[in-house]
Amino acid sequence: MLEGYLTQVATESALAEEPAAVSARLRSVFSAGAGRRATVLGLLIGKVLEDRERWPTDAIVYASRFGETRALSAFLDTFPHPSPTLFQTSVHPSAVQQVMIERRRPVPEYFPLAGGPDLAARALVTAFACPAEAVILCGGDERGSWMAEAGVASDQGFAFAALLRRSAGPAPLARLRLTPAEGPAAGGLAFPDWFALLHGRRAFGGPVSPDWRLELEWLRPAGP
Amino acid sequence: MDQSPVSLAACECLTALGDTAQTQGALERGQGALELRPFGGAEGGDLVPLALIPGRPLDESSPPSWLPAVRTLMGRCPAGPWGGPRHPVFVTSSNFGVGGLFAFRRGGGREHVEFGSPEACVRLVRGELGWGPNVTTISHACVSSNLGLVLAGRHLAMGLADSALVFTFDFLSPFVAGGFYALKILNAGLPAPYRAQETGSIGLGDGAAFAVLERGEGEWRIEAQTLYNEMHHFTAFPADGSGFAACIEPLARLARGRRVWIKGHGTGTLDAGRLEAEAFARALPESPLVGWKGGLGHTLGSNGLVELAIAREAMRRGRIPGTVGTSAPTFAPNVAVGSLDGRAYDAVICASNAFGGAHAAVLLAHA
Repeated sequence: MLEGYLTQVATESALAEEPAAVSARLRSVFSAGAGRRATVLGLLIGKVLEDRERWPTDAIVYASRFGETRALSAFLDTFPHPSPTLFQTSVHPSAVQQVMIERRRPVPEYFPLAGGPDLAARALVTAFACPAEAVILCGGDERGSWMAEAGVASDQGFAFAALLRRSAGPAPLARLRLTPAEGPAAGGLAFPDWFALLHGRRAFGGPVSPDWRLELEWLRPAGP
Repeated sequence: MDQSPVSLAACECLTALGDTAQTQGALERGQGALELRPFGGAEGGDLVPLALIPGRPLDESSPPSWLPAVRTLMGRCPAGPWGGPRHPVFVTSSNFGVGGLFAFRRGGGREHVEFGSPEACVRLVRGELGWGPNVTTISHACVSSNLGLVLAGRHLAMGLADSALVFTFDFLSPFVAGGFYALKILNAGLPAPYRAQETGSIGLGDGAAFAVLERGEGEWRIEAQTLYNEMHHFTAFPADGSGFAACIEPLARLARGRRVWIKGHGTGTLDAGRLEAEAFARALPESPLVGWKGGLGHTLGSNGLVELAIAREAMRRGRIPGTVGTSAPTFAPNVAVGSLDGRAYDAVICASNAFGGAHAAVLLAHA
């Protein structure tokens, strides 16, 4: 069994919000220059990791099903004169890198996970596999353009960040338990549904993948 | 640093030079696979050095043109219940099926989009190779496969797995060639890793590899692995080389006094090459440093595991390829231009770097 506590949780819901509106709303999360260059997903991740002193960066596990699809599609449209900036930001793990590079915060361990039907479960196990005392588990997706219509980008924008600790500490927000499933389990937890659990502070008990079962229990209301 | 030893029970690669043995042999003879081709594929563009698996075009097809190569490579993977509850698979790539998105956007049919996301691409591979659902997909640019090795080792150390499979694949397309061309480091020049010269150049190459990890001692042992992310700049490193030192130093402490050689990242860019060569020269001045991307091209997210497989083969055969494509003067005295006698060494440090100042290194030893 893997057991730990969430001692901080932040979420940002931009489910149906136009990406341009998200950019305008969140640009101030970054400095002026970086805010102009930031991707929508970078801004969403920057928002949930605001209050930088609250987020130790010894280890970060980042999960996104689709990653930087808007930068990727914009980069494609720059051919035959490809854009170096759009190429850099189109790489999968760039959302967290945009945030940490602007803050000049080294991160000893950074594990970016990319998609999969059990992405939330894989990200949780990866976070438990990090030896750091506190691990940032963050992620999200941005609304895509033509790629969303083609099924290779998200049709929703959202982001989350949670600080996972092995010990409860003075004021844990939630307790997490992952137990191996006894035999192949049906169902799982879709990535947007994991976001919804954190966003709505909803308890959960059930399979999150064919091989893992999750118990999520909230211990107190969200607060500063 | 991860220091729970795991056995590297199997490890093979496929490059533009052939399978593991063919690749090691070609590099040892100083041969490379890079050829000047238009970065935009059929659309043309300036000529840049690319190493494609023979017969595979740069432009993507549907189903992907690289699938036969994956089948060939994984035909050599030991059979196992991969993707089952105690036999996880870690799939790593920096490209996945992005070549299909390029093909679609540049006028191709809808079928090109089908494998365009990492998730859909891995679903295709998983179906081809018959894996179960216990699959974790990782993408961290050019240290992707290193992260797969670390996570696989941790699953073994935590008792979550009896054995683990790491599979990595990166096949070139105009998307990635155009990206590095835009950064101006993929140009008409051939890469000369660690050579002190006026202009830096890289080459890109197709590559795929797998590793089977098991708990405990074996003939080949991953003794330790390190990771570090500078988060200083997307494409530049701090001038003091502190990120290289942060990743290298823990392994160097284990390696001092032992007969260790180094396979560096060595893409052919100037600043990174100098910082890496100097960092290794400071940390392990007695250990020769080689780099192979002058022959293979940079196999991107897969380079860490592709080159680990070649390093293992080099130690097995007792012949270590030198730094293909390079000649004196080099950035540091420990850069080995020519081949080395592998019998003089018991272990190797293999290092990789990526965007964002990401570093990863592994210490592999022969029992």
